[in-house]
Amino acid sequence: MSVPVNVAAQPAQQKVATKKMNAFKKKIVIFSFLAPALLLYFVFMLYPMLDAVRYSLFDWNGASSSMNFVGLENYAALTQDSLFLRSLGHNLLWVVLSLVLMVLPTLVLAVLISKVRKGRMFFRAAFYLPSVLSLAVVGVLWSKIYDPTMGPINTFLRAIGMDFLARNWLGEPFLVIPALVIASTWAFYGLYMILFLAGLQSIDPQMYEAADIDGAGPIRKFWYITVPSLRNTMNVVVSMVIIHALKGFALIWIMTQGGPFYMSEVVSTYVYKSAFSMNQVSYAAAQSVVLGIIIITFTIAFNYYRERTE
Amino acid sequence: MANLAKKQISGQRALILSLSVLLLFMIAPIIYAVLASFKTNMEIFSSPFALPQTWSFDNIISAWHVGNFQQYFFNSAFVTIGGMALVALVACPAGYAFAQLSFRGNNLVFYLILLGMALPVQAIIIPIFYHLRGMGLVDTLTGLTLVSAGLALPFSIFLMRNTFRDVPKELRESAMIDGAGEWKTYWKIMLPLAKPGVVALLIFTFMNIWNDFLLPLVLLMSQQKYTISLGLYSFQGEMATNYALIFGERSLVWFLVLSSI
Repeated sequence: MSVPVNVAAQPAQQKVATKKMNAFKKKIVIFSFLAPALLLYFVFMLYPMLDAVRYSLFDWNGASSSMNFVGLENYAALTQDSLFLRSLGHNLLWVVLSLVLMVLPTLVLAVLISKVRKGRMFFRAAFYLPSVLSLAVVGVLWSKIYDPTMGPINTFLRAIGMDFLARNWLGEPFLVIPALVIASTWAFYGLYMILFLAGLQSIDPQMYEAADIDGAGPIRKFWYITVPSLRNTMNVVVSMVIIHALKGFALIWIMTQGGPFYMSEVVSTYVYKSAFSMNQVSYAAAQSVVLGIIIITFTIAFNYYRERTE
Repeated sequence: MANLAKKQISGQRALILSLSVLLLFMIAPIIYAVLASFKTNMEIFSSPFALPQTWSFDNIISAWHVGNFQQYFFNSAFVTIGGMALVALVACPAGYAFAQLSFRGNNLVFYLILLGMALPVQAIIIPIFYHLRGMGLVDTLTGLTLVSAGLALPFSIFLMRNTFRDVPKELRESAMIDGAGEWKTYWKIMLPLAKPGVVALLIFTFMNIWNDFLLPLVLLMSQQKYTISLGLYSFQGEMATNYALIFGERSLVWFLVLSSI
């Protein structure tokens, strides 16, 4: 009795087994596509991210073999650290100045370029030129431009007899951040101009024609048609300006290293100094975690806002 | 009618004139650097806006040797090409898997990687330094290459996933029916179709790694391993204290060229 049943069951069992085998094989194949990326991502991003948090909970100088657990003490110390709070303030000032200097001026520039009939491509490429330079080049170049004795700005001011205006642009406490932001604006305006130019192309020309018939002037057309139509591009540009301003390191480090008297210190330069020249690794890790949380929160909140309004 | 056309033409002229003036101000720093690279120190100081008295390339050529740029150029090329190869080899299959293969946790894993796009390098640079030191890779070009590629991954995977999403799924299915395995389908059919995306990925990775400053600054110590960005920075630091040796302006033109390829 049992023999025929077995004969009938055998192929079915085999089928189940091969099906399982195939599913397993498929998993292996998919894994082979993902594994190298996941490995690299884990080793150089995810694990360091967790470790930054771990470091920040200890008291470690980077060299000793023992680490003391101190809990949130480093974070508590941050709230009392006037230099850290000032650095955050400088970041904020940098954000505000960048927004003022970059968003509207680059939009106006893009509008002007879009109105050129012949040679539009030339202006596009020429205004974009500074944006292809690396920030290291921009930093060195502008240090030379601001140089108090050799720099062209001061030489020019002296040549026209306005010596009293010549200064050590990067050496004066209240001039240093505006001077740095101007250099950074110079490095980025081409990028935002291109983004705005792309956005301008998508505006329906009929809207302008209708406005013309209604007798609207160029300024009205700009405020009531161009600006509202570019809301999405504007969102992207504003978020990029803010993120660049919060992350900024290279330009500041090359031009002032946070000086004079910490007047251009921002969180990223303070993190670098604390970790790699003052050996306060745990404290620096806590700062970097705070900076990371600020930037990630901003990015996610912004994307959420954009998805909701689009 | 003729009046209107005339008015438009003069409007165009005014527009082009004002844009040209603006442009002159905007690119004045670049013009200044290029001119300065031909001048003597004395000329830079006494007449920064004049054309150089003699157009000689000697300064620029000697700066190439004095500044050790050959070495920096080679180092940058090593890190950049290595990073590009690694990113392409790793991010393309991953992007493909996220776009075309269905498996459990696809979205979850993808969002986890996407999180890396928001994460600033500054937040993880300290652990990266100590991990690399643990692996004996601090102050090596290999270490810098690996980290640069790793940090470029989230955006690269995102880009490749979008690219592969635009390739019709039917192509993959028909290749599989014809008997090609997943990897063969990927290499022979899908990857060639994603060529524009791969090119964009390579250009983007090139610019980012070639121009990077923070990672080389933290991870490299010995001068003969410096990349172009770091070399320029250290060069200007050395020369700033010694006015007789300001090669900065002269060498800058190299960096203008090299950094903007």
